Amino acid sequence: MTLLAGFVARLRALFHPTATDNALNDEIRFHLELETEKNLRLGMSPADARRLAVAHFGGVQRVREEHRDVRRLQWIEDFAGDVRFALRTLRRTPALATAAIVTLTLGIGANVAIFSAVNAVVLRPLPFPAQDRLMVITEENPEKHWHLQTAAPANLLDWRAGVSDFEDVTGYVDGLGRSTLTGRGEPQLLNASYVMGNFFSTLGARAALGRALTFDDTWRGGSRVIVLSDRGWREHFAADPSIVGKSATIDGATFEIVGVMPPGFAYPRDEVDCWESIGWDKTKTGDVSFRRAHYMRAVARLKAGATQAHAGAQLQAVVDRLKREYPATNKFMGAAMMPLHDYLIGDTRLPLFILLTSVGFLLLIACANVGNLLLVQAAGREREAALRLALGAGRARLIRQALTESLVLSIVGGACGLALGWAATRALVYLQPRDMLRVRDFGVDSSVLVYVVAITVLSALIFGIAPALWTRHRNPSDSLKEGGRGAAHGRGVRRWGDILVVSEVALALLMTVGAGLLVRSFLQVRRVDAGFDPRGLLSASVELNARYDTSTKVTAFINAFEERVRAIPGVTAAALESNTPFNGTGYTSDFIAYGRPEGGYGTEIGNRSVTPNYFATMKVPVLRGRTFGPEDRAGSTPVLVINEALADSYFKGQDPIGQRIALDKVPTPKSTWYTIVGVVGSEHTDALDVAPRIEVFHAESQEPREFMVVLLRTNGDPAALTPALRGVLRDLDPTLALAEVAPVERLRDQSLARARFLTTLLFAFAVIGLLLAIVGVYGVLAHVSRNRTREMGIRIALGAQAGQVRWLVVRQGVRLTVIGLVVGGVVALFATRAMTKLLFNVAPNDPLTMVGVALILAATSICAAWIPALKASRADPSVALRAD
Amino acid sequence: MGTDQSDVLRGTLDLLILKTLTLEPMHGWGISARIQQFSRGLLDVNQGSLYPALQRLEQRGWIASDWRMTENNRRAKYYALTASGRRAVGAETANWRRYVQAVELILDIA
Repeated sequence: MTLLAGFVARLRALFHPTATDNALNDEIRFHLELETEKNLRLGMSPADARRLAVAHFGGVQRVREEHRDVRRLQWIEDFAGDVRFALRTLRRTPALATAAIVTLTLGIGANVAIFSAVNAVVLRPLPFPAQDRLMVITEENPEKHWHLQTAAPANLLDWRAGVSDFEDVTGYVDGLGRSTLTGRGEPQLLNASYVMGNFFSTLGARAALGRALTFDDTWRGGSRVIVLSDRGWREHFAADPSIVGKSATIDGATFEIVGVMPPGFAYPRDEVDCWESIGWDKTKTGDVSFRRAHYMRAVARLKAGATQAHAGAQLQAVVDRLKREYPATNKFMGAAMMPLHDYLIGDTRLPLFILLTSVGFLLLIACANVGNLLLVQAAGREREAALRLALGAGRARLIRQALTESLVLSIVGGACGLALGWAATRALVYLQPRDMLRVRDFGVDSSVLVYVVAITVLSALIFGIAPALWTRHRNPSDSLKEGGRGAAHGRGVRRWGDILVVSEVALALLMTVGAGLLVRSFLQVRRVDAGFDPRGLLSASVELNARYDTSTKVTAFINAFEERVRAIPGVTAAALESNTPFNGTGYTSDFIAYGRPEGGYGTEIGNRSVTPNYFATMKVPVLRGRTFGPEDRAGSTPVLVINEALADSYFKGQDPIGQRIALDKVPTPKSTWYTIVGVVGSEHTDALDVAPRIEVFHAESQEPREFMVVLLRTNGDPAALTPALRGVLRDLDPTLALAEVAPVERLRDQSLARARFLTTLLFAFAVIGLLLAIVGVYGVLAHVSRNRTREMGIRIALGAQAGQVRWLVVRQGVRLTVIGLVVGGVVALFATRAMTKLLFNVAPNDPLTMVGVALILAATSICAAWIPALKASRADPSVALRAD
Repeated sequence: MGTDQSDVLRGTLDLLILKTLTLEPMHGWGISARIQQFSRGLLDVNQGSLYPALQRLEQRGWIASDWRMTENNRRAKYYALTASGRRAVGAETANWRRYVQAVELILDIA
């Protein structure tokens, strides 16, 4: 009630300054009148009486000002005073201040770095106008286990025509193709994106020079046109401002450059150099392949005012119609829609969320440590605080003083943390796996600053609360009497210390368990056998151009290339295949085994084309039958080699050799029946943590492909073969360029890069968290045992053994650690479930990790308790008893 | 917060005002006159500090004020103790006694 009354008075003064001033004037006037009357009664003249009254009052104006100060400015002055006092106190205890600031810098710095990443990836909107209206439409087929699939062009065009809530629907091919630019010196490789013409208008992008593509450009027409990205324009066309309208020779064909996009527009990838029209043939849109091949990433723009739900319902209506109209291709083909932003964040969200949680815990541990330091300090300043209370300082004022001190600490820590965090974002950009974080968006912006201020103030409150409350509970007379020792040091500090230790141990356990699970998972993945031997292998890709327009020419080139590559000194084996290792399977198809019921498989089969030397070069074991040989030529019996995964799942208990399969769901008279001639070991084609696919291999001579990957095996450093390899290709055909030259071991590491990145960061945070927690445990126990020095002295004087005294201190550490471990363990059992998706062959409640981490924590924390225990047991009774 | 002299005096004045108001609600002049009277003229309240002090006490919620008519039919601002003000008198008195003790201890030592 009284607080409220005071508050109301202050509020009144704040909003009605003149009214309050007038009231004061009235009051002063009344006072002066009475004083004058008194003087008159004492027999003064009226003039003297008035003069003396004013003089006695001591300056009306000064009173008015002071009155006003009390009303309004008091808190500002108090605050400034508090800050000065805090700085003075901190300067008096530089060790404590440094320890607190370093701790906070670590905690806040880690948060700034990770939050910057979350901000750049998750929170910041995409750089497109009205980006919240952009949706990705994916094809979903439960029968084929398709999720988030790219769309077939015919379906995409039907959605575009049938959903009135869409302003437009466009599509592009996921990932970038490699196009060779010739006629400008050495052949150069361009990263090309293949898009529908309305790609730019749908995303809301305009050209900086010339024009962007339009919907009509989608179709194959007279002249072929491309649009350059800012990057492509600068790197490959010397930023020529008159480039628009000129032509360029790309993959042997002539393109007209119609426009250049502005620097901010680089989609779907930052590295895009140019956009080419997908160039569909308008006369063939009725072909079944136009509805059967799924390769377009579809993006729709909702009309202004249209809702996602309503557009989604319209989309489903179209999907249902297509299921009825085209049962052969669309019987099970569904579609789903989600905001483009959500789609692009995709699976980056979970790792970032887990990192953010981890650094959040780190900051809490840091706060607990600083809180403990301040608490110990506050307890040490007992007498000072008591004296100030006695001299009339309000308790609220003392609490505020304590909080100001915390705030000053946390602001300094926050500023240092911001600097550290900024530096750390640079390191993150450097360390991150490709494509996880978009580098150019990354950095410290206003959201990050708001976040820093928020966590800075919040930490000050968290670690300042204990010392502040501690201040409140003091009784000054007791402290003055006891000389600042004894009871005051007893329960209050100890209870707070206990709480701090328990929460620190619990938080450290959570962090360490999280990191431990990822480390275990990572080790499991590392141990996975790829199915081939990546050591000493070099891989590079070649895309054939328009000169190779028949299968014969392609095969002739491949054979010649392989032969020459094998002749490179140091190369022990060489082969070509249609896929880059650890980069997924290019083609998939249906399949059926001869004599089996139709349509019974419901899954996709990978299919690759390899030269006969592939299996020997990769050291893929041949399990049954044979691999390819010179007898498998174009025109001879079509043959296949299958992998073990396929043999196990579809030919269990049978001999697959000699059986025939067709790559159709329902065989037609035109179907090609391939005879299985061999079974080879399964390979991890996507990544080590993805199970091998079921696959078939064609002989390259029977199934030539225009995109091939050459593989070289050597006993030395595979990267050293690169110049020789380039030379071979140049001699063979100077119009072709080599791309993606990389040791296969590096490709394997890249496929693990994201897991490694996350594991490394979480591990680093966990180690820092663990160290801070251990320092915290040590700090609390050291303080408690220091205050029990006299007690220890007495015990020793009475004949206690050193071991018994040590145990007294250690016991407390053990008790608190065990409570912390139990609390943290129970929380961890539930919390780690969020990580399931990130773990490979490790359960989220993996007992080995849980117990192992708990043991490590217990052991380190007992060590931390041991040091003060040792000191206590060495207490010299005579000294200890005389101690203050 | 500093521990300079003005603080000590301020604390003292506050206590004196509170103690005076335990008798009855009074206006500012009445308070200063009463303090002078009680201290047998030893303490002359600096009237310039009186009103800021009243303001401070009111903000703290220890006293409340309202405008009333005096017996001579003049408008004056009267101050009265609140419930918490009454409690504060006890605590502040104890604080004061302790302070005096402390100062005396120090004076004895030095």
